[in-house]
Amino acid sequence: MVAPVAVVGALFIVYPLVKLTMDAFTQGDGGFSNFAAVFESAAIRNSLVNTIVMSLVVTVLCVVMGASISWSIARARSAAFKALLWAALLLPFWMGVVVKAYAWSIIFAKNGILNSVLDQAGVIDEPMTLLYTRLAVVVGMTYTMLPYAVLAMNPTMSRFEPEFLNSARSLGSSRTAAMVRVWLPIVAPGLIAAAAIVFAISIGFYVTPVLLGGAETPFMATMIGDDIFAFFNYPRAAASSVLLLVLALVVLGTALKAVGSKALKGGIAG
Amino acid sequence: MSTYVNHPARALDRTTSILGRLLLGFSLLFLLLPAILIVVLSFGTDPRVRFPPEGWGLDRYVDVFTSGSWGGPLLLSLEVALYAAVGTLVVALPLVFAANRSRLPGRSLLEGVAIAPVVIPISAYAVGMYAVFAELDLIGTQRGVVLAHITHALPLVVIVLSTSLEQIRTELELAAMTMGATRLRAWGGITLRLLLPAVVSGFLFGFISSFDEAVLITFLGGSGLVTLPKYIFDSVQYSVDPAITAIATLLMFAVTFLMLLSSTLRRKEGR
Repeated sequence: MVAPVAVVGALFIVYPLVKLTMDAFTQGDGGFSNFAAVFESAAIRNSLVNTIVMSLVVTVLCVVMGASISWSIARARSAAFKALLWAALLLPFWMGVVVKAYAWSIIFAKNGILNSVLDQAGVIDEPMTLLYTRLAVVVGMTYTMLPYAVLAMNPTMSRFEPEFLNSARSLGSSRTAAMVRVWLPIVAPGLIAAAAIVFAISIGFYVTPVLLGGAETPFMATMIGDDIFAFFNYPRAAASSVLLLVLALVVLGTALKAVGSKALKGGIAG
Repeated sequence: MSTYVNHPARALDRTTSILGRLLLGFSLLFLLLPAILIVVLSFGTDPRVRFPPEGWGLDRYVDVFTSGSWGGPLLLSLEVALYAAVGTLVVALPLVFAANRSRLPGRSLLEGVAIAPVVIPISAYAVGMYAVFAELDLIGTQRGVVLAHITHALPLVVIVLSTSLEQIRTELELAAMTMGATRLRAWGGITLRLLLPAVVSGFLFGFISSFDEAVLITFLGGSGLVTLPKYIFDSVQYSVDPAITAIATLLMFAVTFLMLLSSTLRRKEGR
């Protein structure tokens, strides 16, 4: 009695992806023609590059900042400091993706908070254009993905034995060298798993690039949405989506091979 | 041990230590400031959002509850989230039992499949669902959005339930049965009861995941279905209504409250 519900539920998850892939190859002129159409459009080509490059930047930022937070959570001794770290982590996690983007749009707007603070401080004479730039999108996406990165790293970081660092130091290593030669190799699987997860989620972003990037720096998701709702070109949208899907699977697969299923699964399960 | 460390290394250590602290401080500020800012700005009274606000008051909250434009989307969001949360449990519970407690072939694959959507780019997923929904005439229907939200919430809820189920030992059920309990009673009285906090927690996760969801609704909701995140998305895109700061603050506190509730419940499981 239990199994059918489970199987039907799982099928419902798989079927959209199967249909998407089949449609990408069979709708329109079929074969690889839809993919050719994707690459023939300069706008979509640009947005694909844009999506990949910006997601990479977001991934690096999330891993670096995330490692710093996750490591602090793992070795924080004071309960109050630990609570502060968790609050900083989870408050934006619970804000909802639209509200997060909105918060950054107020900060980055021409007459927004950052410009007025910098103006009052005498740092700038004229307001800077910050909203609707790549910078704004990267900041907004990093803000959204950072908690995911930290949660993905936490299992690895909390398992690290601080004794290893003490041993390295008592053997004459400097603290910096101990971190680079002992700590980094041991936590690397967690960092790689977090990076793969952040990247795979980032390339599908829709809300943040629209609200903070505007028309200047469209993400693939924006192009896909336009293909469906503005140009009624579903076959091309399906091909673009399959590209995103393949990209995510390749990155996750590579990570899986590099760090093993345990680190990756631990990363997803937080 | 410091006698073994030469001076350049010590200077390097000092630099990395300072850099490390700066990085942490920056990361924390980066995470906290925007959230705090939204809360602070929600108590301003200026007709346009500005910092620092010139006047303070509850005008924006009054606006949210009296302007009438927020009520519809809020109600729709609550309704969809409620159905989605219940629906997610209906799929997730059997799935977790099948994956953890049965000898079903491919049971670990089953759980893998349920968790997979979390790392699949959501816009690709949305297009796949769009195609399936177009076939089934579900575009722009509330049923369709609920179904999509169930898929979206499933990974988190499966993770919550299966982590908890793994910790409930099957021996307890067997012990109850040796004392004369029927199989069903042993299952309901022991396993299900011990799992209850995780079920409540899974319900809350499902609810929040649907309540916050803005991408699937954009692709699948047609023009008629406007949930709260979609409404905020549209209004930020075309105009900036300062009442958003108030609704965002209310949402933040509501969600924080629900999540704290859920983590308290799970801690009571008695690990």
